[in-house]
This record gives sequence, structure tokens and C-alpha cells, in this order.
Amino acid sequence: MSDLDSRLAKCFSAVFPALDPGEIREASHETVPGWDSLAALRLVAVVEEEFGAQIDLAELTDMVSFASIRDYLQRKVEAR
Amino acid sequence: MKLIEALEILKKPVPEDARALRIALACGFTPLHLETFLAAHLRSLFPDRAIDIRTGLFGDLQGNLERLDPAGLDALAVVLEWPDLDLRLGVRNLGGWRIADLPDILDTAAGRTARLERSLKSLSGTLPVAISLPTLPLPPLFFTRSGQASTHELRLRSALGASAVSLSSEPGVRILNAQLLDRVSPPSDRYDLRSDIATGFPYRNSHASRVAGLMAGMILDPVPKKGLITDLDDTLWSGILGEVGVEALAWSLDRQAHLNGLYQQFLASLASAGVLIGVASKNDPGLVEQAFARRDLLLCKGDVFPFEVHWDRKSGSVRRILETWNIGPDAAVFVDDSPMEVAEVQAAFPGLCGIVFPKNDPAAFWSMLEDLRDLFGKKSVSAEDSLRLQSIRGASELRALEAGSSGSLDDFLRTAEARVRFIFGTRRVDPRALELINKTNQFNLNGVKFGDAAWRGLLEDPEAFLLVVDYEDKFGPLGKIAVIAGRRTGPALSVEAWAMSCRAFSRRIEHQCLKYLFAKTAADEIALDFRETPRNGPFRSFLLQWAEAPLSGGVRIPKEVFAARVPALFHAVEEDVLE
Repeated sequence: MSDLDSRLAKCFSAVFPALDPGEIREASHETVPGWDSLAALRLVAVVEEEFGAQIDLAELTDMVSFASIRDYLQRKVEAR
Repeated sequence: MKLIEALEILKKPVPEDARALRIALACGFTPLHLETFLAAHLRSLFPDRAIDIRTGLFGDLQGNLERLDPAGLDALAVVLEWPDLDLRLGVRNLGGWRIADLPDILDTAAGRTARLERSLKSLSGTLPVAISLPTLPLPPLFFTRSGQASTHELRLRSALGASAVSLSSEPGVRILNAQLLDRVSPPSDRYDLRSDIATGFPYRNSHASRVAGLMAGMILDPVPKKGLITDLDDTLWSGILGEVGVEALAWSLDRQAHLNGLYQQFLASLASAGVLIGVASKNDPGLVEQAFARRDLLLCKGDVFPFEVHWDRKSGSVRRILETWNIGPDAAVFVDDSPMEVAEVQAAFPGLCGIVFPKNDPAAFWSMLEDLRDLFGKKSVSAEDSLRLQSIRGASELRALEAGSSGSLDDFLRTAEARVRFIFGTRRVDPRALELINKTNQFNLNGVKFGDAAWRGLLEDPEAFLLVVDYEDKFGPLGKIAVIAGRRTGPALSVEAWAMSCRAFSRRIEHQCLKYLFAKTAADEIALDFRETPRNGPFRSFLLQWAEAPLSGGVRIPKEVFAARVPALFHAVEEDVLE
């Protein structure tokens, strides 16, 4: 698991404590109970803290899974 | 605290038998991360409690307060921001910032402030209320340049300030200290416009955590320390008394000893608020006597008791002072300029807070004063606080007289001119009653601490009774020193809480209490829910006068047993019944 993946997994684990660590990489708003709008805001805030990045609010609606958030962060890292 | 740290704290399992700590969080914005941080800070402060935060509707602070049912709650945390006074003082509503709008904004804010004040005062009568006044900057809606405060802004702040002053005088209200918040959360690092617009949560995470942390610390009062033991040379004053003599001791600006003067002033302030001040000094007692006779000393000799002045170890002095005060080391602070002396005392009393007086470091000195204020801070100063030193002196004289008396205790008590006043009833309950129950360890029936909600719950029972005891004798008044609470259960009285200040020992006040309860309630028997604690030995000894050990499971005292064994009582008794 890359450094980015493991740090993102830590964020998911904090926001969704019931989520099995083995399921984090496949997590999405459709599969994780409790992934509501409030949890989404909490997840974004934790990710921003962890990565010191400000997430573009226009992209919030696309951040609906571990994979989509990882891809977004990867793009941010590459753009730096 | 970062948000992820807060979430990690909240993930930790709560003990199965954890008591709930139920807090209502009222704010006009969406509580979002503030709620998370508040829960996490409370969990850190109270790891054995199950934290339960309840929030209301977004955007309706006043409505949330008016709908709030205090039953079952332990406290209310209110986090105000400017839009709670008028939505136009925020950015999420476009109600207009024209000059013509400003008077109406002020009028609306004044009206809402008054309404909030009424609601908060009403709620504070039934549960503790912690309030954070607006912490965020006002938007640039006034017509002056940003460097100049506008009349409108000043009027707005003045009206809110006046309301806060009025609220702060309510016994149940605590208002967050803006000066402290400014220090820990710089004003320029608080507001998150992006988040405010996008989610309705206006705080940066760092600010949310700091507000939550300070609010959590205010919600339930920590027990303040009771006594401070201070060194003298290069601490209370500058100079070594035995070397420079009385007149060369200094504590003023012109003699480069101003920190010592400030320290004296601070100790005098603590003493006036009921904090016990004692002296432990390796010195010549005669010289110290002369030094305390100097009229320019800011801490009067009368503020200090006892003095331990000799050349023996400081730990011995501290032990004798704690015995005189009848408090544990965890309730005291020791201040000395010598790190070695502080270490020697702390080795003997690991629970005691030791502070090295920072004689050449103004910044560290300032921190020390702030730390001391935190250790001794209390919501208000009661009549009992101002009597404490006087009554400890009286108790000390009493013990000395007892020890030196050739007569019996009866002879001694007969001449003590003691007066006991019983205040009976569950109406208009004095906050001192709950304070005594929760802060008294030695003469305490079972060590059970009551939250406000549990205390209210007990007293609202139609069968409940409450007895508060006020005492004085020729050695001085002790004030309200005992409280007994419980319920009537048929022909018996069931006592669930009984605490008496250690200052009132050896006066047979506890016997007079039982006598009064038997007479007042016509009970055949008094059942005491006794549970042994590490520190309630004095209560256990009292019970052994009426019952055989073991005492676990409670003790029942039949009226005839009491009548047969009660010793002679010499108090004049008065009674106030609160019906």
C-alpha cells in the first residue's frame, strides 16, 4: 500500500470506525453504512487535515469512494 | 487536537458501567466538528463517563433553548456567534448592509440578546450553563474603515457585554474567558468563510477544537485546591532574612523586587477568597515575626496560618500544616525558590503540587500566577470561604485547649457557647449543600458525588428531605458546615448523603443532627447508606458508636438506641424550615 493509500485509509478508519480494514480500499458511499452528508463533510475535513490540502468544493460531489478521493489526491500531488 | 485525533479518542470503548454525561450543545450554526471536538475533550477529561452530546436544529439557537428539556441533562453548552443576534451579522443571508439597515440590525440584535438572556437565566436555575460569546469577526458591514471601530459596532458589543455581565452573576452560568481564548486561538485564525458558505460551519478546525476544549473544562467545575504553602526568602520577599536583616528585605519596583510584591499581592487575593495560606521557611522565628510586623508587607500576618519557621526539613513543616488545615496533599500547593526543597517535599507528598518560584524569569512568573489562578479558581466566593481561616484557627485553639485541659470534653463543650442552626426543607436549596456533598471526603457517608441532575432528581422526590447545618461558637462562626439528604420510607428515614466539613469535628454536631432528625420527622429509625471509602474513616468511627462492625451494607439506628447512647449535647438549637 502506498503512503498516500495508507494515510487515506487512516482517515477512513477514523471517520468510519466500524469499517473493516480489509474493506477500506473498496469503500464507497453505496457500501458503507453511515456514509451520509455529515460523514462526508467529516471525511473531507479529516483528509484536508491529514494531507494539508484544501479540497475544491466543486469536486465534493464526486468524492464518493476511497478510489475517487485517492485519485483526486494523486492529481493534487502531481500538480504541485 | 486535530479532528482525526478527536475521532480516535471517541473510538475508544467506554467502560460498561460508565455513567452518562449528557450535555446539550446549543449553537445557531451546524455543530459539525464542534460537536466532535466537544465530545472528545469531554471524554479526555472524564474518561470514565459515557459522553452524550445533544444538539438542536440548525439556525435556531433561541428555539433550541426554548425547547430544551433540562431533565436528565448534566449541563448546557451555548456557543453564540453574531448571526444568532441578527442573521445580517453573518454571511449566509443577504438581508442587506445599507446604512439604513444598520439601526434595524442593532435593534434586532438588542431584542434577541435580551430574549437569549432570559432563556439562559431560566435554564441556569436548573442546570449549569457554559457560554461562549461570539468569537468570530463581524463582517465588514459598517461604513468605517476596518481600523476604526464604528459606533454601531461598539453599541452592538456594549449591549452584548452588558447582557454577559448580567448572566455571569447567575450562580449557574459560566462565561468563557475571551482573553484566554484570544491567547490559545488567535482571532485571525478562527473563521473559515469557505466552510461557512458551503456547509454552515464557520470555524476552522483548530478554533473549533480550542473553543470545545475550553468549554469542556468549564462545564463541570474541577475541585479547586484549598491551601498554598509558601517559602519566604527569595520567594515572598527578595533577600535572605538571616543575612540582610528585616529592613533590607524588598518587594518593590524601586528595589528591583517587584515580582515578589506581585506575589504577595496575589497571595493576599487568594486569602481573601478563602484559600488557606501557610508558611514553611527555614529561618529564625523571631526575625520572621519582625518581618511580618513591617507595615508595607502586602500579605498580612492575619492572612497566614500556620507559620512553620525553624531549621528542620520542609516536608515536616508541610505535614504539620496539612494536619492543621485537615486537608490532603492533593488539595495543596507548595511554592519555594529552591528546586531542592520542592523536590524534597514532593518526594514526601507525591500528590502535592510543587512549584519552583521563578525569581529571575518574569515570563515564567506570569505563567505561575495564571497556573495558580487555575488551581484555586472558583465560580464564586461564599460566606464560608471567608470564614475558613478563622474557623481553622478556632479549631486549632480548640484542640490546644482540649489537649491542655484537665477537665473532660463535656466540660469543654459546655463552655463553648455553641449554636447550631438547622435549615430544613427542599425548597430554595443553597448551592453550598451540593458543594459540601461533593467536596467533603472524610466525614462523608458514602463518597457518592452528585451531578446537578441527580441532585435535582433526589430533591424533587416528594418524600425527600434536606437538612443544612450552620454552626458557630465562641471561637467564631463556621458557616454552613454539614448537609444531610435522603427520603422518608414509612416510619424510617433513609439517609443517602451526609457530609460535614472537617472544620466541624469534635463538637458533637453530628449527634445533634441525628437528634434533630428524630425529633423533626418522628422517625422510628434512621437508615444510613454507608459505604466505606479510602478517606471516610471519621464517618466510620461515628457509626461505630451506634452499630457493630462490619458496617458494609448500611447501618440502621433505632431511636431507642440513639437515645440510650447519645452523649451530652450543649448546643443552642435554632431552626429555619423552608416550606
